[in-house]
Parts: sequence; structure tokens; C-alpha cells
Amino acid sequence: MPYHLFKCSESIPEREKHAVIKGEGEDLTSALPLGYLNTIPGSISERGCAYCGAKHVIGTPMKDVIHMSHGPVGCTYDTWQTKRYISDNDNFQLKYTYATDMKEQHIVFGAEKLLKKNILEAFAAFPEMKRMTLYQTCASALIGDDINAIAEEVMEELPDVDIFVCNSPGFGGPSQSGGHHKINIAWINQKVGTVEPEITSDYVINYVGEYNIQGDQEVMQDFFKRMGIQILSTFTGNGSYDDLRGMHRAQLNVLECARSAEYICNELRVRYGIPRLDIDGFGHEAMASSLRKVGMFFGIEDRAEAIIAEESARWKPELDWYKARLTDKKVCLWPGGSKLWHWANVIHEEMGVNVVSVYTKFGHQQDMEKGVSRCEVGALAIDDPNELEGMEAIETLEPDIIFTGKRPGEVAKKVRVPYLNAHAYHNGPYKGWEGWVRFARDIYNGIYSPIHKLSLLDISKDEIRTDVGFETQRLLSDVNLSDEIKNSTTLREYTGKYDCIKDLRDKTYPEYLTKKVSEAV
Amino acid sequence: MDELTKDRVEQLIDYIMKKCLWQFHSRTWDRERQNENILGMTTQLLCDETVTAESIEDKCYWVDAVCLADAYKERYTWLADLEKPEIKSLMQDVKNRLDHLTITGSLNEELNDPLY
Repeated sequence: MPYHLFKCSESIPEREKHAVIKGEGEDLTSALPLGYLNTIPGSISERGCAYCGAKHVIGTPMKDVIHMSHGPVGCTYDTWQTKRYISDNDNFQLKYTYATDMKEQHIVFGAEKLLKKNILEAFAAFPEMKRMTLYQTCASALIGDDINAIAEEVMEELPDVDIFVCNSPGFGGPSQSGGHHKINIAWINQKVGTVEPEITSDYVINYVGEYNIQGDQEVMQDFFKRMGIQILSTFTGNGSYDDLRGMHRAQLNVLECARSAEYICNELRVRYGIPRLDIDGFGHEAMASSLRKVGMFFGIEDRAEAIIAEESARWKPELDWYKARLTDKKVCLWPGGSKLWHWANVIHEEMGVNVVSVYTKFGHQQDMEKGVSRCEVGALAIDDPNELEGMEAIETLEPDIIFTGKRPGEVAKKVRVPYLNAHAYHNGPYKGWEGWVRFARDIYNGIYSPIHKLSLLDISKDEIRTDVGFETQRLLSDVNLSDEIKNSTTLREYTGKYDCIKDLRDKTYPEYLTKKVSEAV
Repeated sequence: MDELTKDRVEQLIDYIMKKCLWQFHSRTWDRERQNENILGMTTQLLCDETVTAESIEDKCYWVDAVCLADAYKERYTWLADLEKPEIKSLMQDVKNRLDHLTITGSLNEELNDPLY
């Protein structure tokens, strides 16, 4: 078994089974780390808690909702600035965050009255908002506050409001993934089937496991609308609370992030007979395959092929410009969960980079099965890494760039390794054909930034040359390129707009008559 | 299994493992269903047989099978030189190997959880 024990973790020998090196001839029956287990005491994990996974990953991207945490105000840390799941209603869910602000006195005397007061105040302060999600935290769960009962009381008093209760306190699982599971099941149990949606197309999907990071959902929504497909609901990025209550009427669940949302897809299949189709929104080949599959499912593959041809022609020359400059660069793919497998192979094939390590903070072995399969021989796969292991991996693997969260990312910067934010992105969206080029541009900018050299100079003692200009990214990236590539008239840098989402919101789409209307005409 | 067949099986498996997601559903019973139906339909498509996808569940298997069969034909041109019984035998070997990697030989400890 190709397990790998980090030197820094020799005092925590249990850590050995959480890392493997994919050697020549190794496959999943020999190279798979353990996963989704409680963090081993002594290992300072980078994980989040089950409350965070429920609220800050899945609940809060819903856009037309007051998202209330029943707990200390610190539990709402991951809201302003740290999350980038935007929405087309002026980012209401990002601009306002709510907590009941529990303190010691409430732990002693209970906080149900406090909760009710907060709920009523929030609805009064935002009278246009009639929907609320309500989250248990460690503090309120431990003292046994009955938040379901309070929600029921409020809904009786205010009949035009609807409240969803999520019982996923921080200790409710080994990591945020426990919270993903809980909110998936809570939503289908409490809310799916309580609204009958209006069906406007012959082709109706739920788009599941998509969180509209910097506009990803809106990019994908554009493709589906161009195909005449109705997105009944998006679970949950840019999604509407009431749309998500009508998920039971879709013909197909199109699943993106299986780690966070396959549970509701599986349950929709069991309870309502709606099949699940897994797709990949990252990468040109994956995008083409994804739209083609959805198109074929509905018998409208010609519409998918038209989009594939148009988008590929527009963006492939730009992707290839970056590929020429990124080939053989070493990257560590260290996201939270699903991106390790979404990106591991396609980034190698379409951008030319070598993935020397994958890790997952909260993924399950299923995620590692996908990730280990998709990366190349020699890659180091780590489950639930701690900070020291990350540092040791950086020293031994010497990556050119790391894709991870902002906390470990800032640590990498301290040792002069650039990072890109794999969760919230740098200059996203990253989905779709254009998005993938934007990702390539961010990688290029990260690796070839002149700052890496400049920062090595100590102006108090080093000689600073004044007879030469600064090195530019282009000077650094093109130094070993052939003239054919340097002077290519077909390859080009990214030419899209700074904000590629704004125009999508005002766009008009072709009208496809439904079969019912066509037959009536 | 002779070396040539083994090599061909590994090529076809490598494509599935690098490009597809359907083989990694979360539970054993799901994986058995996925592998059986998608590889079964892929085999039929590679052998130019008619595939019937009547239910919407079958349609999901079918779209993955069409994409896989198309990719196989495009990437592995040696497939065109095989007789239909040879393709069927080869695809059975692929299924056996995939079942081993994702189900029977899998180290995934969550595969047999009774709940989703």
C-alpha cells in the first residue's frame, strides 16, 4: 500500500493512512487514503464545521432569504467578504447576515425568546423578504433550544412567511460535509413538494450542486436557456427559496458538485423518480460533453452542438495561448472537495500543467477515488491535511502554484508560492468556455507575476539596479517559447470583459414553443 | 487474459476513470446499476445494435453510453478492426475490471452504507 507518512506527522502515526502516492501500476484497489473521519487529535485541521457546511456552503447562496444563525455572532464569520456566491438580486444574501448573538446568560437561561425576537425583528426590518432559513449552532443545540417550535410559532403569527429549519450544529459531523448531508435531507423532507411550480418548457431540469461562485450558475444558466431548457431550481446558487420547494416537478437532475448535493439528487430519484445526470462545468471538453448529454436526454442535441461550436471557436485560441505558457508547470490542487476531481485531469490536458498533489479538506473516499483516478502517476493525495503537512509537501514538491482556500493560501504565500482561491476564485467565473480561459489567465498571472522576484530583494542591503526596467509577465513567460508560438496570429490572450456576467442578466433568449402550445397552434 | 487484451482493457478503463463520473456513485447498489447499464448499452452501440431507452432512467444511462461509445471510436481506432463477438468479449472484460476497481476491490468504506 503506497501510504505516505509526513515527517512532521511522525508523532501522529494514524495520519499515515490519510495520504498516498499514486505510483506506477497503482490503482484504486491499492492507492486510496482514508476519508471523512474525525480529525485525529493533535492534527490541526483546515476543515470547517458541520454548521458551516450546511449554512455557509449550501443554505446561504439562496438569494431571496433571510439566513439566520441561532448562536454566537462569531458563527457568522464566514459571510461578508469570505464568500463570493453572488446573485442577480443585488446580492441580498451576501450583504446582510443575521445572528441571534447568544451570550453566556442565554446558555444559562435559554435563548428561545431571544430567537423569536430576532426572527420578528428581521422580518420587520426587511418586509419584502418573506422567507427565512434558520440554523442551529453548537451553543443553541447543546442547551436544547427548540428552534423548530419557535419557527412554527412565528409562521402561525405571520402567515405569509415561511421558515426552513436546519439542525446541523457544528459538532454534527467530522467536517462541513456532515452539514452538506444534513441540509440536503432536511430540505427534501421539509420543503420539496410544498409549492407547485409553473412549467414553461418541455425540457425541465433542476441544476443541483452549483453555488454561483462569481457567476458560475449564471454562465451555465445562459447555456441552458439558449437550449430552451427551463431551470426549475438551482440548488442553491442564485436559487430562489420557493423554486427549490418545487424541485419535485423536474424531469432531470443535472448534478455538478456531487460532494455537497448528491444526497438530494439520490433522494429525488428514490422519492419522485427523477434521474440524476452528473456533469462537469469546468473545461472545454467537459463543457461540450455536459451540454451534449443534457441535449441528448431531451432530444435537442442540435441546440447543444450549435453552442459547443460557437463557444469553442470563440475561446479555444485564447485557452491555447495560456496552455503554451503553462505547460509543465507544477500545481498542487488543494481544494475543499469536488474541485480536486473536477479539475485534476482537464487542467492537465487543456492547460498542460502537471498536478503533483491533490488534497481534500472534507471530501469522502469517493472524492479521492475520482481525484486519484484523474491525476497522473506520482501525485501525492492527502486527506484532511494539517498546515505542517501542507508546508512539507510544498518543500518537497516545489509547486509553481497552489489552488486552495484563502487561509492555507496565505500560508503558501509566506513561503513565496503563489496561490489561487479554489473556493471563491480570483477573477471568476471559471465555468463555461470563457470561464475556463479566465482561470487560465489567473494561473498565468499568478505564476508569472514579477512580484515573486522583486519580493526577494531587500532594499536595505541588496543592490537595486536602476539601469534596467522591470521584468513583465510576458518577458518571463515567453523566454523559452518558440518564435512560432510567440508570433502566432491565431493564439491570443483573454479578450473578454472585466465583468462577463452583467450582460447575461439583460440578455434575451430564443422562444421555443412547448409541444402543448405548438399543437394548439 | 493475453497482454494485448489486457492493454486494450486498460486503455478503455483509463478513459472512463479520467473522463467519466457515472462509475463513482456513492453506494454499491448504485455502482452495480450504473456499470451494468452504461457499459451494456455502450457495448450494444459499439456493435451497431439498437438500444432501447424507454424510461427516463434508461435515457440517463443511454446518454452516457453514447458519449462513451463515440469517444472510444474516436480515440481507439483499433476497435474498428474487431469483430462484434470480440468487442463483446472485450467490453465484458472492461466491465469486470471496472467492477473490481469501483466495487469488489474498492477500499471505499462507505460503499455499503444502507442509507444515502
